[in-house]
Amino acid sequence: MTEQQTIHLAAYWLPLLGCGVILCSWLAMRALRRMITTRQETPNEQIPTIDAEASGRSLIHSWDPRFKIIALLGFAFCAVSLQSPITILIALLLTIITLAIARIPWHRPLRRLLAMNGFLVMFLVVMPLTVPTHSGDTLVVFGNWQMLTCNLRGLELALIIIGKAWCVALLMEPLLATAPLGATLEGLTRLGLPGKISEMLLIAHRYLFVFLGEVQRMRSGMEARAFRPGRRWDTLRDLGNFVGMLLVRSFERTHRVYAAMQARGYTGTLPHHHQFRGAMSDWLQTTIWLGLGLGLVLVDRLGVGGF
Amino acid sequence: MHQLARNLHLQQDGPALYELRDLSYTYPNGQTALERIDLDIASGDRIAIIGQNGAGKSTLLKHLNGLLSVQQGSLAYKGQALLEEHLRRARLEIGLLFQDPDDQLFCNTLQEDVLFGPLNQGLDITAATAATNTALAAVGLAGAARRAPHKLSYGQRKRAGLAGLLAMSPDVLLLDEPTANLDPHQEEVLLQLLKDFTGTLICITHNLLFAYEICERAVVLDRGHIHHDYTFKELVSHKASLREHGLDFTFRFAESPMPEDLHADDQTQSPVRETHTDGHLAPENSPLIQLQDYGFTYPDGTEALIGLDLDISRGETLAIVGENGAGKTTLVSCLMGLRCGSGEYRLDGKQVTDTNRRDNCQQIGMVFQDSSDQLFCPSCYEEVAFGPRQLGLPNETIKKRVAEALGQTGLSGFDERVPLHLSGGERKRLALAAVLAMQPQILILDEPTAGLDPAGEELLLDILKGLDVTLILISHDLFFVRRLTHRTLVLHEGHPVQNYSTKDFFTDTNLTSLNQLDFTYRNRCGLEIMRLQHEHEHSHQHHHSHEHPHRHGDLVHNHLHEHEHEHAHTFSHTHRTEPDKPSQLPANSAQEPTHGHLPRADQPHDHEHPNHEEEPHKHEH
Amino acid sequence: MHISDGVLPTSIALGAGAASLVLATWSARRSPAEDLPKVAVVSAAFFVASLVHIPLGPTSIHLLLPGVVGALLGPAAFLAILLGLVLQSLLFQFGGLTALGGNALMMGLPALACGLLFQTLRGQSRKRQAIVGALCGGLGVLGSALIMAVLLALSGEDFLGIAKLALLAHLPVVVIEAIVAGFIVSFLARVKPELLEAPFTLRKTPPVLDTERKR
Repeated sequence: MTEQQTIHLAAYWLPLLGCGVILCSWLAMRALRRMITTRQETPNEQIPTIDAEASGRSLIHSWDPRFKIIALLGFAFCAVSLQSPITILIALLLTIITLAIARIPWHRPLRRLLAMNGFLVMFLVVMPLTVPTHSGDTLVVFGNWQMLTCNLRGLELALIIIGKAWCVALLMEPLLATAPLGATLEGLTRLGLPGKISEMLLIAHRYLFVFLGEVQRMRSGMEARAFRPGRRWDTLRDLGNFVGMLLVRSFERTHRVYAAMQARGYTGTLPHHHQFRGAMSDWLQTTIWLGLGLGLVLVDRLGVGGF
Repeated sequence: MHQLARNLHLQQDGPALYELRDLSYTYPNGQTALERIDLDIASGDRIAIIGQNGAGKSTLLKHLNGLLSVQQGSLAYKGQALLEEHLRRARLEIGLLFQDPDDQLFCNTLQEDVLFGPLNQGLDITAATAATNTALAAVGLAGAARRAPHKLSYGQRKRAGLAGLLAMSPDVLLLDEPTANLDPHQEEVLLQLLKDFTGTLICITHNLLFAYEICERAVVLDRGHIHHDYTFKELVSHKASLREHGLDFTFRFAESPMPEDLHADDQTQSPVRETHTDGHLAPENSPLIQLQDYGFTYPDGTEALIGLDLDISRGETLAIVGENGAGKTTLVSCLMGLRCGSGEYRLDGKQVTDTNRRDNCQQIGMVFQDSSDQLFCPSCYEEVAFGPRQLGLPNETIKKRVAEALGQTGLSGFDERVPLHLSGGERKRLALAAVLAMQPQILILDEPTAGLDPAGEELLLDILKGLDVTLILISHDLFFVRRLTHRTLVLHEGHPVQNYSTKDFFTDTNLTSLNQLDFTYRNRCGLEIMRLQHEHEHSHQHHHSHEHPHRHGDLVHNHLHEHEHEHAHTFSHTHRTEPDKPSQLPANSAQEPTHGHLPRADQPHDHEHPNHEEEPHKHEH
Repeated sequence: MHISDGVLPTSIALGAGAASLVLATWSARRSPAEDLPKVAVVSAAFFVASLVHIPLGPTSIHLLLPGVVGALLGPAAFLAILLGLVLQSLLFQFGGLTALGGNALMMGLPALACGLLFQTLRGQSRKRQAIVGALCGGLGVLGSALIMAVLLALSGEDFLGIAKLALLAHLPVVVIEAIVAGFIVSFLARVKPELLEAPFTLRKTPPVLDTERKR
């Protein structure tokens, strides 16, 4: 059992480090955000298109969706099971390679990473401070502030979590953006997802954009009448009314949509029109991926080999 | 899904395609929509269903494809009631085009959506794809097959909805207000597509000109009853009865753009809105709104406005005209401060920048095209009070303003009513009231007549005439433009094309050649209809005696008897001014220059009864 | 707030996933088949509603609305929430596919519970409905926070600190959501009370379509 090690740093390091981290991350976020907004596909886009890159051509694009889903989801679960920083880094690397193979423009995965930021930063900040100390931990103490003891194991844990989260996030792009949504969902259905659910997903996805448009117009309408989100009671009531109105309109629309479906002969299931053919290359790719995933897990569990 | 071979349509049993007998329908909330409807529709009929809003048209339409089940009475399609298996098969041959295309396009790409119908019909994927491609090509959207519906414009979505129906090769097409929110060019495109359709067509519309082009028969509903059912030509000839149903369209195209017309018009009927000092615009040194080299580009690079110079003075009334997508709404959004463009924009002398543009709404008010987008409060009072409240006014002032605004728009006493429960016209006026309560100097109206029936439009017009604001009007409705505005700005693809007086706009023949701003078909229709109405004015009732078999109770006999009836015949006449020119037509009766005519000796009148002239009868002309 | 990938141990993630699947199936069975597309459309609306920013001190939060979803949809609420989460995961990667099960339980269970609570306590008067609505809104978020804390705690003692923090962070959200939910219910009670009378999928007669209302 190794002893706890304690590193003492002068008190001023804390605010220095703290500010440094905050400044760097803020600048980085701003730069990234700016880079992303200049590439937005449509004005005022709040919801990105899932399958925007579906018309590309690459190994990933030509992969049968069913196989792709099994392979990448399987790999994702493997990645999530990893515990050593090194294996996680390897997994991340593999993911980035996949992105390159699929020729996904980099702003799309970056956008996803940005979205998760808040939650993950919380881990980064809180974990080192709240993790119970075990033997073998390295602690960093700033001056005399015993309360703010940083446990480097906590930091490591947080970084591991962030690594895993990023890995799965980055995997989403090759998984989803490389085939039309309908094809992907039909692949899922063939794999066992209840047909009803994939049907509902398709419909819900379609109407997201319709309601988003309504919300934007309603918001414009409110702004045109001098609405400013303040911190008053009134704002909450106005927002309550706003959401209520959105809901009412959606309920009315849903009946009309259903009527439209019936009018064109809907009898309970959306018709299928994707044809899947599993080729040798599909099997090969899937095997490689799953092999890599399981291999990583193995390496991870066996104590990272000789590293 | 069992195979339903495409060419095995349901067989027709009996003479009529649809037989409605004694059909009545009452909604769960007690509202009676249809009362004892008797209607026969033959295969190949092209019918327009007309009536005021609330007359039951939609309800009737929904019965025709089984979306509403028959409550009372009977409805037979091809001889059988629309139930179960027959209903299922019928739905595959009857297409219903919804008013809002977003209700109808429920798949994630156009291709998937148009495939929906043929696949439900049982076609295999190859045949269905072929049908889809044909349909999309027919409506001009072949290149957009893989795009998501929300990326298309409104007009494109409407056509996509139609493609979804055409791909099913329907026998019957039911259309619910197909031209709502379309600009004249888009209307013409739709018109062509429907003219090419060879089946039975049943269309709900307020747009008389459109219906005139594609329909032959008119069924007029009034409070759930069939009021009239006759040919379209007869319908438009009866100016008086059109007025009865609140559907008087004559005032609309009475002022169709014809040079002689306009000159006469200017003296008698210039836009009535008063300006302050004896007919001249109030002297102002600087215009209220000044735009210099103004432009707006969307983040994705689309240039919506380019190089716009515009001055609007206090008290002026400006119309902004152009095809859908020309940048009209973008322009007014920028004026409102909802968006920020490039170039110089001065409001009342002050430069408008990105930081202070949000204050524009205190001086400018805008009524949106879709009033549902603007109304979100649970009571009319709260709705109208919203603006003043945001401005921070004290409660007493708010109460006064609300009362005033509701009074101005004819909605006094509506304080506690729920906006969502109001009719379309009332909602539009409520939106106007909500904007007026902020007492803006400038009022912007974006397609104010969208969704209103003609009665509603007249009411709105009266309200607007009484307001004392600078007015900016975006509209495809030429009548409104003419009656309300002094000046017209024409936009085309973001560029300002013309900026001149409204009078000049109406006499500008160059414009009609701008493909996207095509008002010609309306003029053509308008002229024809006016001719029909004029002819009808010379129809009359008369007594005459003749002999033919007829029935009295159980007894059938034949003897000379006298009836009085109104004949659909015209009194042949020529106009004294121009003996042989049918195109030289006078304007609407409201300002009909007097004309006289002499009966032609050779043929006093055309008549379906042979030798009518010889029989003794008398009538007035 | 949603749990991202990598936080829950695989065993818990899979377990939660299985539980969610069971609940989703139950939820689907409880609704008439023809109502499912309608639920899908409404789920999209809830999703968009949750994108609304509400200013809270220096930052802004997003509404979660589990209480309102439950009140309006009844048993189908679980499906609606699952749909919303899947969409969010597909679109924003906020929650992660591997953590889907956990998140679904976290949001879905309170929704179902609050839905039931709302129907039981609803009453007839608008005021009462609004108050019960506020209660359900607040409890819904509280329930979510608790389940999240439990899941985190189950992941190991290292996560206790985070669990406590997450719970604390949710408290102001609870208050705001309660207030907003109350207003939403109050609006619905005035404008379209039939939506509150019985959960969407258990209703017998279809409500009046707006196109049939007198125009």
